[in-house]
Amino acid sequence: MHLKLADVLPLLDIKYWQAVVDFKLKDLEGYPDKSIAVGFYEGMARTEEDIHLLKVMREKCSTLIAFGSCSCFGGIPGMANFSTIEECYDAKFRHNKTVNGGEVPTKNVPPIAEVVKPNTDYVEFDVYLPGCPPTSKLILTAVTSLLEGKPMDLPPHAVCHYCKREKKETPISEVLRPYVGQADPKRCLLEQGYICLGSCTWGLCEGPCVNKGATCRGCFGPVPPIMRDHGAASISMLGTYAPMEPDKLVAQVKDPLGTFYRFDYATSHLGRIRIKREDMKKEEHHD
Amino acid sequence: MTNDKTIRIEPVTRLEGHGALTITLGAGNKVKDVQFNIGSTRFFERFLVGRPMEEVPRIAPRICGICPEPHHLASVKAVEAAWGVKPPPAAIKLRRLLIESKQLSSHAIHFYALAAPDFVFGPFADPSVRNVAAVLKYMPDVAVQAIKIMEFGQELCRDVGAKAIHPVTAIPGGMLNSLTEEERDKWLKAVPQLLENVQKTVDLAKTVVKAYIDVITKVAVTPTYYVGLSNKGVLDIYDGTIHVMDPNGTMVADFEPKDYTKYWGEHVPDHSYATHIYYKPAGYPDGIWRANTLARCNIAEKMATPLAQAALKEMRDLVGRPSHHTFAYHYARIVELVQAAESIKKLLEDPDIVCTDVKLSDVTPRAGEGVGVVEAPRGTCLHNYECDDEGIVTKANIIVATNHNVGGIEKSLMDAARLIFEQDGLKKLRLPEPLVKT
Repeated sequence: MHLKLADVLPLLDIKYWQAVVDFKLKDLEGYPDKSIAVGFYEGMARTEEDIHLLKVMREKCSTLIAFGSCSCFGGIPGMANFSTIEECYDAKFRHNKTVNGGEVPTKNVPPIAEVVKPNTDYVEFDVYLPGCPPTSKLILTAVTSLLEGKPMDLPPHAVCHYCKREKKETPISEVLRPYVGQADPKRCLLEQGYICLGSCTWGLCEGPCVNKGATCRGCFGPVPPIMRDHGAASISMLGTYAPMEPDKLVAQVKDPLGTFYRFDYATSHLGRIRIKREDMKKEEHHD
Repeated sequence: MTNDKTIRIEPVTRLEGHGALTITLGAGNKVKDVQFNIGSTRFFERFLVGRPMEEVPRIAPRICGICPEPHHLASVKAVEAAWGVKPPPAAIKLRRLLIESKQLSSHAIHFYALAAPDFVFGPFADPSVRNVAAVLKYMPDVAVQAIKIMEFGQELCRDVGAKAIHPVTAIPGGMLNSLTEEERDKWLKAVPQLLENVQKTVDLAKTVVKAYIDVITKVAVTPTYYVGLSNKGVLDIYDGTIHVMDPNGTMVADFEPKDYTKYWGEHVPDHSYATHIYYKPAGYPDGIWRANTLARCNIAEKMATPLAQAALKEMRDLVGRPSHHTFAYHYARIVELVQAAESIKKLLEDPDIVCTDVKLSDVTPRAGEGVGVVEAPRGTCLHNYECDDEGIVTKANIIVATNHNVGGIEKSLMDAARLIFEQDGLKKLRLPEPLVKT
């Protein structure tokens, strides 16, 4: 796979890629609109600089790809929306084991938005390539199809499709934390009681975690359609597998938010309410 | 109204993150201030609170796409320290294999993709050719050896960690997965070619060092403290005690990771979201230190493997110990690349590496606090969590490798800026003809 990427890379005329090529923001801003064939935008945009770059990329690129789960759904950093920005600043700059009484930096650094909003709130994307990270195969498929002008056919299967473990439709009697006991390497992890999001998660990864003993945590987001509520789907999946008293189930699932919404809280229904609340605070402030 | 002139370089490229430089020049081009502005932060320390401890090794690696393995392992070590869990010896060997494979691929990526373009095409070549895509195009043989090393490291990470980027198999009490005999045999068979490619990299690095010796010995030679893990004097990236060397080369501290708050200060600058870690007893900014390859090579009495030891000796003959030469970081990276390759060979040859007794069954959470430390490619990576009796995180402090270096980067940039703007030093530097002309 690496060698194939080496075949593709020299075919590209790279116009901006800060980790690889020494072009500056001014260079990117100076290109004519839509003059770049394809752009990949990585990460969630939370600072004014990020949001500016995202918008410039949209202007300059004919095809803009949301690259990776942060770019598609807000990703793991979207979990910062579980807290207020002041709580975040406290842990980072003010009171922690090695900081005491620091102040939030303001000089020559871009302001940080109160909440993580999904990139789709700022621009429209033409293609979504989720994953944390997207696999080399997925990148190669995307780049090759764009170079050849062919449609991108991505298989719609869930992670379970790629999992070699056997399912026996066994209901879960007890939810186990992943360090407990020794899992049977041949049996479905979920049916053994370990929460696994494989059945609700897009299987573009082809199942590396589940086939090496680790439960799926949903890093490729929902099976298509891309903006389906992954967290809600995962919770109802668990409800189907674990026919126990709701109170008992709630007591056994230690961290529902961080388990079911780990990669896509910002684009979920619940996460939307959280963002809306912040927007309303701002409106009240303006009134 | 001042006549100060501001130079803003935005973004700093070949950086795995967001950064810009702001340089302020006063009358007569006197350099008044140099800032390294890191304009992004995601608040991991906040949103890890409330997560079950065993999930943190699966979340924290997302801090970095280049060095997720060190985060995965520092994190699981911190959880195990808090819960008083000791994983089986074979699990430790697998973890070592994982981190050495990462060290191998990261150092190769850094040398060939991030650093080499400036040296082989010359620092003033046009950006459109001064990059790794051009290395692939104009130096296909070199590119193939580079890719083979990276591929070895990344694919081996995947066999052990399930995913090369953001591995998932380390869990409190051991590993969820062992290496099969088939996998082990496949990698052992590939080792001779790996060592050959690593030797070619050493040769290329020495050519570059010789050609750029004037730059190495004159630009950004910046005395600082150094911090890094050392295992009884031997360079070890998985385990050991934390050592601090002062700018004169005297070892001023050697302590257990759990005692880090006595020695590590965290300065919050007004111009960067990345904080500056420094040697607390010396205060800030006097105690600014650097981590990463050169720091580890300065601190180590010796390397863990013979070829790496020979490479270290050769490096020290040229730049001394301690070396304050910022550009010698590249050289030290190659010394460590050799150690990573040799360590991988040694681990693969150990029969325990395919042992299946890699996970405890009886792990129980308890309230407490744990610190886990490993060396990431860019420096000492520390995770510190507190949890309640159900094993839910109540506090998290994470010191990533880069934060040890940002204070030192500003110091060395100040030296470089003075050379360029105050002494017009660029013109006086002896630069070689580019190795490749485009």
